[in-house]
Amino acid sequence: MKWATRAGVHIDRAACAWLIRRDIDPDAEFVFVTDPEEVPDEATPFDMRGAELGHHHDDCSFETILRRYDLTDRVLWAIARIVHEADLDDGRYDAPEAHGLDVILRGLSMIGDDSHTLTATKPLFDGLYEYYRRRNLLGREPA
Amino acid sequence: MSVMSTVRISSPGEWLLLSYRMPREPSTPRIGIWRKLKRLGVAQLGDGLVALPADARTREHLDWIADEITEAGGAAGVWIARPATKAQERQLAQAMADARAAEYRELRKTAGEQADATAAGSAERARAVRRLRDELRRIQRRDYFPPPERDAARAAVDALRYPDEITEDTA
Repeated sequence: MKWATRAGVHIDRAACAWLIRRDIDPDAEFVFVTDPEEVPDEATPFDMRGAELGHHHDDCSFETILRRYDLTDRVLWAIARIVHEADLDDGRYDAPEAHGLDVILRGLSMIGDDSHTLTATKPLFDGLYEYYRRRNLLGREPA
Repeated sequence: MSVMSTVRISSPGEWLLLSYRMPREPSTPRIGIWRKLKRLGVAQLGDGLVALPADARTREHLDWIADEITEAGGAAGVWIARPATKAQERQLAQAMADARAAEYRELRKTAGEQADATAAGSAERARAVRRLRDELRRIQRRDYFPPPERDAARAAVDALRYPDEITEDTA
């Protein structure tokens, strides 16, 4: 399937793309556009103005996708809190990791194009997932 | 009050304007939007017209806010604009820098009060430092034309954390 989002990928879009490939569509193909009108007819838009898979009711797009696809994995929701704060910085969650992640994503967008950012962030989110998975199992910070 | 510093601007840059109107009632979404705009540090150009220097982050925030206004039954548009003269841009930037300077001064004052009210090394002091650092970070995120007050505020918070090292860094 084809998925479309805004060019100049930042934290929310990178996290959504990782989530889409991981839990919704392993063969997802991503298109980056600068205007909503450029979204191909067959593509599902996400993290764009007016898209169903966008910001809604103070949720960032990553949270919207989790809700829309009934993804209830606690580990994904732990990551959602970080993505939310890195993207919106509205103090809804206590996520000190968010600021660092925001800086890393901004830096990545300065050294490569959007597909580079997605390639570089995949192991980043995989690692975050494993970290919070272990934390949930242990009930404390894993070493 | 100290003399305000002057913002330096080389040439007019790109700005983002958000033009919007929202129904008067219900007031909750209106207030929610206003809080978000305030947190972003927008310059108010007129009734239902605010501005921010254009970059990827400000664009993204204003786009989402425009969407939210539309969802709440209002109308909104995001525009890319360039001031016609340097003076006009300077005025705008200066107003934004002055607003941040006031926030930094307030933060510095609170840090000074905490220095008197809490003991160095105490848990209470550590909590105050954490709170002030959070606040400092929030101000810095909406600080597009940093005034000198920023460094003074930063130094005051650091001095609260490391009272023995103050002379080195803040001199």
